Amino acid sequence: MKRVLVTGLGWVSSIGNDKATVSDSLRKLTHGFEAVTWLGNPKITTKVLGTVKGFRIPTPEWRDWSWPDHYTIPPEILRSLAPHGLYALCASLQALADAGLRTADIGNCETGLFTASAGSPYMLHHFLGQMHQAKAERGNPMGVVSSISGTLNFNLATYFKIQGAVCGYVSACASSNHALGHALDDIRLGRHKRALVVGAEEVQAESILPFAGMRALSVNPDPDTASRPFDRRRDGFVGTGGAVALILEEAGEAKARGAHIYAELAGWGQAGDGYNVAMSHPEGRGLATAMERAIKDAEIDARDVDYVNAHATSTPVGDRSEAIALKRVFASAERQPWVSSTKALTGHGLSMAGALETAICALCINEKFIPGCAHLEDIDPACEGLNLPRKSLSEAPAVVLNNSSGFGGSNVCLVLRSWND
Amino acid sequence: MSNAPDPATPAATSPLPEKLKRLPTSAAKNYATFCSSHDEAALTQLIIAVLVDHSPTRAGGIETWGDHIRLVEDVGFDSLAIAETVFFFEDLFNISINNEEIAQLGTIGELRAFIMRKAAVLAA
Repeated sequence: MKRVLVTGLGWVSSIGNDKATVSDSLRKLTHGFEAVTWLGNPKITTKVLGTVKGFRIPTPEWRDWSWPDHYTIPPEILRSLAPHGLYALCASLQALADAGLRTADIGNCETGLFTASAGSPYMLHHFLGQMHQAKAERGNPMGVVSSISGTLNFNLATYFKIQGAVCGYVSACASSNHALGHALDDIRLGRHKRALVVGAEEVQAESILPFAGMRALSVNPDPDTASRPFDRRRDGFVGTGGAVALILEEAGEAKARGAHIYAELAGWGQAGDGYNVAMSHPEGRGLATAMERAIKDAEIDARDVDYVNAHATSTPVGDRSEAIALKRVFASAERQPWVSSTKALTGHGLSMAGALETAICALCINEKFIPGCAHLEDIDPACEGLNLPRKSLSEAPAVVLNNSSGFGGSNVCLVLRSWND
Repeated sequence: MSNAPDPATPAATSPLPEKLKRLPTSAAKNYATFCSSHDEAALTQLIIAVLVDHSPTRAGGIETWGDHIRLVEDVGFDSLAIAETVFFFEDLFNISINNEEIAQLGTIGELRAFIMRKAAVLAA
């Protein structure tokens, strides 16, 4: 079976819009949160957001948007983009440049596009409002393609002229790990030589605040402590958005062109909880199985794992179930991996989370460090026994797991490995 | 008495439509002139400003092109760009344009004449 390498990364995230800034934030445990007032209403109890810097989206009208000057975004693509589509396009262009590829290099049959987002509730709300106002007698012709789930793959495939697989994943917070897993399989099977994998979400109220109704968001107003996975006082997640793009390449192709290699994407596993529409299984049943399957797929042993980038979003139920799952998987291993959740710094990127954290794992392997558990002071007894570093470590992880879990009990685990071939 | 909304009356007394604020200031001025006096030259200039804004390729020189210029073949409009332009005018003048009418809009001149006809009927 062919092997698959990560050769390019692109970032639009709360902790940085380029590799160097993200790396610095991870090493120094500098978070990307700011206090915000939603919808002009100070009574809303959610006060903290992982903001996207350098972009301005004041209205749904693209003519009002701004983005960093070094990206040239033509009107013919802007007119059908949602805000997270703009982030995704910028992240994709950055990933291509990072990989040493030109746009023309992926406009072919041998490149696939695998995306993940929840669509744009912000744009959808706007367009449906227009529709109701006009009593459905007229509507913006770009309303559908710039708002529904799939808007990322519609637009990116068009812009980059992708002619291989073009698809999107909607398993909520497991979505972009699903996108990565399926991209990995397609390259392994020889269907593609390259894949552009992108996860993106928006930070508008329409994307984040519906989670308040589920009591899933932190109501801690302090940006310095609102997101604290595995801590006894955690009270919910802090939302974030942006976009992260990864370039995956078949190893022979990447080596032949002398590509810079971050890491190998060595395997993956998925499993359902079979339990609840929104809550994870109390003992992390599906997630543990997903990890075991990923370890088997990568043909490694649990004792080989140096670091786990946990899904832990800082919710009371989710972190606890993941801790139990981790203890089950590594119970018999001679050595325990380090575990941290970088959502303590970034916030929870929902459909984007898997892509963001897989990119973080690739960066950590390449730059030889392990991110610490930011904001962790008082470990939840249910999470004791995990190897939770309080600071980032200057240790080179050779094998890393990245966990993601989504609604309906969808769990995906990826394995990344240092590449020494 | 027609139930069709009269674009001239509300525009003369209402704030500038939000979508015109994103066009060059001359577009807003031409819109106001047309709404208050039904000046066809002002409407022509407004239509050209909207075409320039919706031109997918930002082709230079469109302002000076003649009526015979074809929206698809010469300017680079695709069917969605034409639909967007039509939607802009529907929204601005509170009019409806059906698919058969859109199919007749091949050139700048045809679009301009069509919008003038629709707007003139409403403004009469």
